[in-house]
Amino acid sequence: MKREKRFGAGLFSSLNPVGFNLERWSYTVHRATGVVMVGYLMAHIFETFQLTGGATAWANTMSALHSLGPMEMIGLWLVAGSALYHGGNGIRLILNEAFGMFMGKPILPVYPYSPTSLGRSQKVAVWTITVAVLALWVWAGLYLLAGLGVI
Amino acid sequence: MDKITLKVTRSGGKRASFEVRYRKGMTVLDALTEVREKQDSTLGYRHSCRMGICGSCGMTIEGLPRLACQTQVSSLETDSIRIEPLHNMSVVKDLVVDILPFFDHHRSVKPYLIRKDIKERDHSEREYKVLTEEVQKFLQFDYCIMCGLCYAACPTAALDPYYTGPQAIAQAYRYMADPRDEGWEKRVNLLDTSHGVWRCHMAGACSFVCPKDVDPAKAIQLARMEVLRSRVLGKKGKAGSKPVPPPGAPKEGVKPPPFDYGGAKK
Repeated sequence: MKREKRFGAGLFSSLNPVGFNLERWSYTVHRATGVVMVGYLMAHIFETFQLTGGATAWANTMSALHSLGPMEMIGLWLVAGSALYHGGNGIRLILNEAFGMFMGKPILPVYPYSPTSLGRSQKVAVWTITVAVLALWVWAGLYLLAGLGVI
Repeated sequence: MDKITLKVTRSGGKRASFEVRYRKGMTVLDALTEVREKQDSTLGYRHSCRMGICGSCGMTIEGLPRLACQTQVSSLETDSIRIEPLHNMSVVKDLVVDILPFFDHHRSVKPYLIRKDIKERDHSEREYKVLTEEVQKFLQFDYCIMCGLCYAACPTAALDPYYTGPQAIAQAYRYMADPRDEGWEKRVNLLDTSHGVWRCHMAGACSFVCPKDVDPAKAIQLARMEVLRSRVLGKKGKAGSKPVPPPGAPKEGVKPPPFDYGGAKK
């Protein structure tokens, strides 16, 4: 049976968090960082696969990568940030989903409504992860800059 | 603010603008009604109770799924209001969406009490007794008015039309947590699918837009924990752990006294 086209459905709608809650923003960033990591994984597999071509092929791949200059380090810095956020937020989600942490217990709703699953503990968890990831990301950036000999 | 402009997305994706004189206390539904009565009688939208009970007037207002009857124009802090149909549903006409697939998801989780003894369920002579503490485990999820706002806000439902959805999963958990229910295993099997509880990514948008604080995100995680306990530990979770005995049989082998209907005939 042919399905009717659904209004507002699709990837853009799924990833658009404008106007929504903090957790929905976190969902979008989680998805985006996941895509970056999958991209990195593919590139990494391609890179290491060059080893099968012998030492010369490997050396050529490395020199091609190094010829990117600072772009190589910026790419690695993005991957580091993605891995940090995806990992940190992933731990929060596991705690949410498998152990019910930060969700609160079923309550009797009293106006003005404030869902406990998006309550203070959830917000603290999201912000803690965000701040920790940002701090580690800055540190990773400095580490990579030091590798470049900039600092 | 003397006048407001409603920018309504109509059938076929065309956007129509209507100017309405603003009154204090005016809701978006009031404004739409004024448009239909005085400017364009062909404007299609659904509504009924006008007081946030029936859940008919769900629509996307300023980018968020809301009930038009509960959305004060003044709360939007703009004099140009964008109104669209609810997302993730197909459009019937203008702001009227086809909610049948949404109801199908609801029906799929068996949103009713399941008792093994059907005769006892259909012809019970006494009421089921449930402790207040047990009622509190599911009462919050019982307040659902099936408006579909959670489904429209869900980023997973935006990608997967077969996803059971926050409303249906919350209702599944509502019955799983009910000690009178004996369909726990059935619902675990219904939810433990690739389009079931595992598709939720805890964006929390469903709970954010819910007009009744049903908190579907919480219910989904609780349902997921039930499924996990069932599959990993092989036993029932917290919900439904103390089944209520059939009504009229408080003690085994003792016939209960007939229910007192206060003199009224059965």
